[in-house]
Amino acid sequence: MINREIAPTIRNIDKPLFIPPEKRTLDNGVPLFLLHAGTQEVCKIDFIFKAGTWQQEVQLQAAMCNAMLQEGSQQYSAAQTAEIMDFHGAYLQLMADQHYGTVSLISLTRHLPRLLPVVEDFLKNPLFPENEFETLVQRRKQRFLLENEKVKVLCQKKFSELLFGDGHPYAQTVKKEDFDSLQLQSLIDFHRHFYHAGNCEILVAGRFDEGLTELINRYFGGSDWKQEPAEPATFQPSNSPTKLLHVSKPDAIQSAIRVGKILVGKEHPDYLPLQILVTLLGGYFSSRLMANIREEKGYTYGIGASFFSLNEAGYLTIATEVDKSYEKATLNEIFHEIELLCQQPVSDDELERVRQYLLGEFIRDLDGPFALAQTFRNVHDFGLNYRFYDDYYQTLLHVSPSQLMRLAKTYFTADSFYTVIAGKN
Amino acid sequence: MIQFYRHKLDNGLQVIVYPDYSTPMAAVDVCYHVGAKHEDPNRTGFAHLFEHLMFGGSKHIPDYDLPLQRAGGENNAYTTNDLTNYYLTIPKANLETGFWLESDRMLELDFSEDSLNVQRNVVIEEFKQRNLNQPYGDVWALIRELAYRVHPYNWPTIGKEINHIADASLDDVKSFFYRFYAPDNAVLVLSGNVDIDESLRLAEKWFGQIPNRKVQKPALPVEPVQTAFREKTVERPVPDTALYLAFHMDDRKSREYYICDIISDVLSNGNSSRLYQKLVKEERLFVELDAYISGDHDPGLFLVSGKLAQQVSIEKAQKAVWQELHKLQNQLVPTAELEKVKNKIEANHVYSQMNYLNMAQELATFENIGKAELINEQLDIYRSVTPADLMQTAQKLFHPENCSQLNYLAKS
Repeated sequence: MINREIAPTIRNIDKPLFIPPEKRTLDNGVPLFLLHAGTQEVCKIDFIFKAGTWQQEVQLQAAMCNAMLQEGSQQYSAAQTAEIMDFHGAYLQLMADQHYGTVSLISLTRHLPRLLPVVEDFLKNPLFPENEFETLVQRRKQRFLLENEKVKVLCQKKFSELLFGDGHPYAQTVKKEDFDSLQLQSLIDFHRHFYHAGNCEILVAGRFDEGLTELINRYFGGSDWKQEPAEPATFQPSNSPTKLLHVSKPDAIQSAIRVGKILVGKEHPDYLPLQILVTLLGGYFSSRLMANIREEKGYTYGIGASFFSLNEAGYLTIATEVDKSYEKATLNEIFHEIELLCQQPVSDDELERVRQYLLGEFIRDLDGPFALAQTFRNVHDFGLNYRFYDDYYQTLLHVSPSQLMRLAKTYFTADSFYTVIAGKN
Repeated sequence: MIQFYRHKLDNGLQVIVYPDYSTPMAAVDVCYHVGAKHEDPNRTGFAHLFEHLMFGGSKHIPDYDLPLQRAGGENNAYTTNDLTNYYLTIPKANLETGFWLESDRMLELDFSEDSLNVQRNVVIEEFKQRNLNQPYGDVWALIRELAYRVHPYNWPTIGKEINHIADASLDDVKSFFYRFYAPDNAVLVLSGNVDIDESLRLAEKWFGQIPNRKVQKPALPVEPVQTAFREKTVERPVPDTALYLAFHMDDRKSREYYICDIISDVLSNGNSSRLYQKLVKEERLFVELDAYISGDHDPGLFLVSGKLAQQVSIEKAQKAVWQELHKLQNQLVPTAELEKVKNKIEANHVYSQMNYLNMAQELATFENIGKAELINEQLDIYRSVTPADLMQTAQKLFHPENCSQLNYLAKS
């Protein structure tokens, strides 16, 4: 009989391999990044433009301009574009975030010669048809109203506003009326300013050969595509003097809670150890917050702490949803756990567990062509290179309990946190 | 052709190994052939509550998560009406830790009143978070109740009501474990960077001694054929009125299942699909409209569900949907349109093989349906579907006597 009380020996996890993509330049200067990976004949091609909310002049401009790209171009109507993509089993993903407008094409590699001209046409010559615009605005507005029924959405929005200030691109302050006042012309202008060769990078991940890079150069490397880089805008966060806010949602059964603050950017020397500290607090299943508030008290289905990085700021968010009756107790426990990190060094055993867990996560984040593409963007978009990952690996191996406690004392002073609760009054 | 290897241990445990050496990770997936449909109608939500308890420590291992994290692993689980699936991913060097953890909780749980008390509470909060405090959160419960009279698909996985979860006792927990959690009612799938011989050796070492529990599952009540139109109307504080049509269809192994899947794709898979082009974009009757199959393993449902555009009445919306359904009954789907749908299914089949964990879960699911080998028959069945098949099945399914309609009205 085997002795089940004795765990199998845990072996050290090998240092993950991180190979940066190969960089090329198209004839017109557009940077092209190539990541060869995966077992299937599949590719994901990202066309990345600096065209996010950071660049926009009116609400919804970046998101709606991005979404309208596939709604009709010189050679293909919206229906034709959809038909061609679906017929080849390909997916278009269009997304605008704070800094980038991205168009991603996921397809079997062999269909790319048929699909790339379609993408070329809608990137260069979108028509922004009036009727498609009206349908899309109506649908987005109804989706917006639906999202606003969720306490977690109301809570997150107010939280971002407290952190960054109304008017800052990181504050989510879109209103219902913004859908009604949005002008089609502003999307056409936004496209002209930001969707062009001088503001674009292309990233390919998957299995492909030299033929594909030639194709990409043919469709996107020409001098017919405008090239002047756009002027970067600047914003300063203006965080609010109010530290605690309640958003009323009279019919809510549970309340959503957000607690957090602005921390540091990815380039800051404290960034990497702070990531580890936040993981310990609430970034994995056996974190302090989960162990206490879910697994011991049973107040919630889930609670987590995340350290988000945007190009111009990094911020901590602790998020949960609890029954109204657990609201106070949950907040007390959150601040109690934060306080503990400042008062007592973490045990070697717990730190070892977080270290190993994060090493495993590190490997998962580098697994597969799509994950590798994301890994690249996680440094490249921040003006960093793969040294960042070497540093992260070293930090994971060498971070100490005293260092973490010092960081907690520096960054986690109780009165520096913002708290938002959305729910019944 | 998806290559994998199968071996059955003496205690009845099926072991499947699917190597993919492009990843440095391994997945260990244990699927128990028990889901919400095996529950007592007065103790619904139990299979899912039990899934939570499986993380509360086992006979020789007081905490499941700590040693797994220590080995660089990550895990989760899900419960459906048909099955309960537990999976973990771990760097290949620590694969044996996964075997140790999963085998111990198959052998015997550490049944504790404390763990039950806490997890009962956690699941009740989950119930509120997912079903009560979400707009449209109770839709599935309403549809199931309307469409099923005797088959246990009548209730959702999370449970019919909070009281069923609140009342669960430790004795219920124990008897559920010994009734359903056994090597002869499970499949173990290893995928990713795993050696076949080593995997089988470890399976024998850790799982081989667990006793066969001679699991017997009584036959489930068969849902009688629906003979009259059913309709239910509710009012809720949501922004958009929504319409749901549910039609009974055949089980997961039938040819009809694949035909229905294709019909649902013709109607609504992708931006070029019929419902999206016609009723969302052209006529602007809906802001969202989907057709899909429930995917259940016993006879399931074909659904059409949509959120109505402002100012559109239920009558008008429903009439427009029926027009599209009638079109399928009266006109053959053009070959090119069918080809498009099949191309998409084939491409998705390739995409799904990009991820070792996804493959482990798919193999486990097919083993639950019948046998994992079914995974390699899927494309051929889809390819064999003809326009005439689509028309015939549409004629069989889409008539009011086979329809349950839910009107979910926005309270202003």
